Amino acid sequence: MVFILGVNFPERSLVKKSLENFFGIGPATSARLMARFYIHPTCKVAQLANKQVLDLTAALSEMRIENDLRRKVLDDIKRMRETGSNRGRRHALGLPVRGQRSQNNINTAIKLNRVDRKL
Amino acid sequence: MVPSFCGTCLSRLRPTPRVLPSLTSAPRAAPFHTTAVLSSVLMKKKNRDAPAKKYRERTAFRMKKKRHVERPRPPPAGERQALRKRIVLSNPNALEVKDMKDLSADTMIEARLRGSVLGLPMPMLDQLRASGAFKPHQGWAIFRRPGTVMRSETLEMGKNFHEITSEGAGKGKVFKRIISGVRASGKTVHLLQAMTMAFAKKWVVFTVPEAQDLVIGHTTYTPISGTNPTLYAQADATAALLSRVINSNRDVLSGLTVSREHPSLRSTVKPGMKLTELATVGTTDRAIAWTVFQALWTELTATSPAPSLEKHFQPRPPILVTVDGLAHWMKNTEYRTPEFQPIHAHDLAFVNHFLSLLKPGFEKPSLPNGGALVYALSTSNKPSVYALDVALKQLEARQAGVDPKSPEFPQPDPYANADIRVIDALNVPKPKDAKEGALEVQTLGGLTREETRGYMEYFARSGIMREKVSEESVSEKWTLAAGGVIGELEKLGKRVRVAA
Repeated sequence: MVFILGVNFPERSLVKKSLENFFGIGPATSARLMARFYIHPTCKVAQLANKQVLDLTAALSEMRIENDLRRKVLDDIKRMRETGSNRGRRHALGLPVRGQRSQNNINTAIKLNRVDRKL
Repeated sequence: MVPSFCGTCLSRLRPTPRVLPSLTSAPRAAPFHTTAVLSSVLMKKKNRDAPAKKYRERTAFRMKKKRHVERPRPPPAGERQALRKRIVLSNPNALEVKDMKDLSADTMIEARLRGSVLGLPMPMLDQLRASGAFKPHQGWAIFRRPGTVMRSETLEMGKNFHEITSEGAGKGKVFKRIISGVRASGKTVHLLQAMTMAFAKKWVVFTVPEAQDLVIGHTTYTPISGTNPTLYAQADATAALLSRVINSNRDVLSGLTVSREHPSLRSTVKPGMKLTELATVGTTDRAIAWTVFQALWTELTATSPAPSLEKHFQPRPPILVTVDGLAHWMKNTEYRTPEFQPIHAHDLAFVNHFLSLLKPGFEKPSLPNGGALVYALSTSNKPSVYALDVALKQLEARQAGVDPKSPEFPQPDPYANADIRVIDALNVPKPKDAKEGALEVQTLGGLTREETRGYMEYFARSGIMREKVSEESVSEKWTLAAGGVIGELEKLGKRVRVAA
């Protein structure tokens, strides 16, 4: 078991997948992060050198991920709502935000566009 | 009209005829029906398994609990891969071909053996296996023992190898070949034959059985400090190469000793140490595998001892280097720089080293003790690299004597964005040293009809092909195999034919 940013990952899991477990890290960010520390794309967690684990943890702790990112998204929606911008109002109404038509097929907007968005 | 009820006793006088059949009665048989209609009445199955309801037990519908299904455990890690990559070299059901000769130092130059199938020496099979000479799906498993055809190209190679080792004008020569050819024309087996000959001649053999493995991002990579442009070392791949070298050349390497100081490995490597021990240092400590490989290469290419260390020097044998699937080394890899730019295969130190051997050496030949570089292309696993296609055409033109400045000399299409590094890598100037041969492209085609006959006779004598090997049947097979392409001949030879 290897700890990356305080999270325990089994040794057989891929570094790429392990990084993508964090909220806010997708394929592009994980690929860039791995290239930064010379980790090859199919590397498993067990193969990481100690220094690479420390480097990854240090890099991750500087990034806005997990709860920080969730808080930021909510703050942004709240700010837009408070300034009374169109996006803020549409969020509050649970309607599409980016100019889509709203006559039908807005289930995603109903589900997601809220001031207290669930992340 | 007479009422149907009796007015005095209110009883029914006579029953009214029943128009509708009762729903509960059995359906009546139509006179034309042939099935036993009565038996078609379904009896409701009694649910005997359901336990009787107990006192005060709830009767509402309950979801059945999902029963835990015992699934067989997946096979242990690596087992499926081992099965997929398993190499079977013998078929005990096949007939033994009597008086089949072995490919040895004597037979590899015998011109009269052309077209016959020579067996690979049994004691050498372990060495060949260790160096990754065999590939799965090559068809070794249908014969009693592995054997290869002596085609004209094989004999020519045997002659070259003999020259390099024997005392004569050709001693210490270097041959450089890129093997190309259509699919299943025997390029990989040509490498196998080269390895067999080299082992028979007691050369040191370095093999890269899959060039692709180095560039698809499956092994570790680290930048080598102090290199500009930055080169990348691949520790695991280098350690694997070292272990291939140790296992396949143990006899030769254990007879040679370290003959100079290696400042970068001062703590672990001492003069007088066996070369097998030197290589083992790299396989045990992978972090220094690349440095160890460089030290081993320096030792093997040394022509004279370092001053004051004469007692540790023995003359070094020639070296054979084989690479299979060269085209993979001619493009960007899956690795990335920290700036997320793709790394070119030529920036990998391992690849760079073996490609730089194609160029003539600076003062000495690239293999100073002689030897051969045999790099094969692959057609079944071939990345499309436009620059490589052009570079090969240029090589062929240069080989044919076309002046590079003449308009007939093939040039890359200026709009095709050809990779200039690839063209430069194969743009090899004429070597200054007479012992160093120029880089050549050798195209393997089909076998000749005589060679085809020998090959088909081998199938017949192994009991695999059950038909008469006649002029006609050989000719038929030769034609069906696109002019004697050996992989196609093998398919035809092992196909069971039913006489019409």
